Amino acid sequence: MENLRGKYAIVGVGQSPLGKVPDMGPLDLLAVASKNAIEDAGLSKSDIDGLITRGPDDINVHHQRLGQLLGIDVRYSTSTDNGGASQVLNIAMACMAIEAGMCDTVLCGFGRDSWSRTHRDATSKMRVSTQHESLQRQEFGPEFGLYGAPANYAMAARRHMQLYGTTKEQLGSIAIAFREHAIRNPYAFIRDPLTMEDYLTARTIVEPLNFYDCSIFADAAGAVVVTSLERARDLKQEPAHILGFGFGNNLRGWYHGDHMVNTGAKQAGETAYHMAGVEPKDIDTAQIYDCFTHMVLLQLEDYGFCAKGEGGQFAASGALKLDGILPTNTSGGQLSEAHAEGMLQVVEGVHQVRHDYGSDRQVKDAELVLVTGHGGATVCQSALILGRHL
Amino acid sequence: MSTYAKPIPIPSATTEFFWDGCKQHQLLLQQCTSCSAFRFPPSPICPECLSTGSKIEEVSGQGTVHTFGVYHRLYHPGFKEEIPYVVGIIELDEGPRLLSNVIDSDPKDVYCGMPVHVVFEEITEDSTLYKFAPAPSS
Repeated sequence: MENLRGKYAIVGVGQSPLGKVPDMGPLDLLAVASKNAIEDAGLSKSDIDGLITRGPDDINVHHQRLGQLLGIDVRYSTSTDNGGASQVLNIAMACMAIEAGMCDTVLCGFGRDSWSRTHRDATSKMRVSTQHESLQRQEFGPEFGLYGAPANYAMAARRHMQLYGTTKEQLGSIAIAFREHAIRNPYAFIRDPLTMEDYLTARTIVEPLNFYDCSIFADAAGAVVVTSLERARDLKQEPAHILGFGFGNNLRGWYHGDHMVNTGAKQAGETAYHMAGVEPKDIDTAQIYDCFTHMVLLQLEDYGFCAKGEGGQFAASGALKLDGILPTNTSGGQLSEAHAEGMLQVVEGVHQVRHDYGSDRQVKDAELVLVTGHGGATVCQSALILGRHL
Repeated sequence: MSTYAKPIPIPSATTEFFWDGCKQHQLLLQQCTSCSAFRFPPSPICPECLSTGSKIEEVSGQGTVHTFGVYHRLYHPGFKEEIPYVVGIIELDEGPRLLSNVIDSDPKDVYCGMPVHVVFEEITEDSTLYKFAPAPSS
């Protein structure tokens, strides 16, 4: 893999309007984000000869439907199914496809309409799954009232609290740090100030997780364009060099062994760091998949920013703030900006290494960013390291 | 008796023996005839050694709470009267972990490592669920 280090780059990024966008479905949102990414790169749609989206359990943004909307025929396209780990995986797959000579310039993206889908009518909030009923579990779950994403993370948080003494206040410091970042981001969906008192008195969802531990329902899409560094040099933007990527999928399940405490992120990170030739201490900013506060805490540990069991103290030290030692989720993340299954965090990572922002949002001298993905029934992890320079 | 309003498990050909056991108030698991590992969920192959040989054994129903969450948000109208209810992972003494409810205990009193034992709840004529209650203190 080291031979691919820096050979490819993200050359364009785009996003849709975020938050409440009731007049657009997920595919519409993704089409707009895609157009913005192509324009950001200074390319035209005829330059795109590869297309990778996340699917197929969320068929709304299947590659075939997106290609139709964008009016493009391509040489290589597919939709992957690693849940929220798909977006980073897709960028790695784009590099591999170009390396294999399958295509030259690949668009990767994802969009969803979580706000609209859950606010259509009085009962729609209960229907939280994007999966068709026929794909949903018929036994060993629903009969016991296992619904929604929070329960599996609540169980993991409980275990971590038991083993390491992690506290609610420590989880709260994660939600608050990201909210402070969202307040600086004019496009973020939720920008209300959040205090520790607000956090600690919020309604419980699945104990020990409360409302602010959970990422937000939002209509949102993001897209990026990947091509060779050789090609990138002639394009409009500074390239975000793809220095490393890695994956770890604990397919034996979240409930197996110690998987809900030691995740596949450890392997994903080790692979990505090795490919990039860097260490955790070299990372200037992290964009960590934050479906829930606790998942950030676990990944801070598994990606090597602190020891196992110390994620709570690390977060509560202020490390994740814009002026902290590891500014994290600088757009507000999925807890406050919008949840597009990690796609917007790739977009934010690119902005940070391109130094696109003013001092109110820019991580000073950001050279290296770690972007992570997580999902697929909680067991899939993906990691991407982008660099300002080779 | 009012109509049962919660989801009723739909067994597959692979899991039918397990649910039939519940109806007889027995917790039945497959045990590998090659490496002796118990497994759950039911499967045609052993996840430890890939052997296809297995026998069905009744297990003790004793275990401990590995971890758990307490539901305060309603996701399905059938659970309205249950809130707050406990969904947990129970580690059986024989090894496998099962997702289930911890019942007959105030959610505040449940803890990781809590000893529990299986209880059966007949929800319809054709379906019985396995749940876990605090083990009698020794």
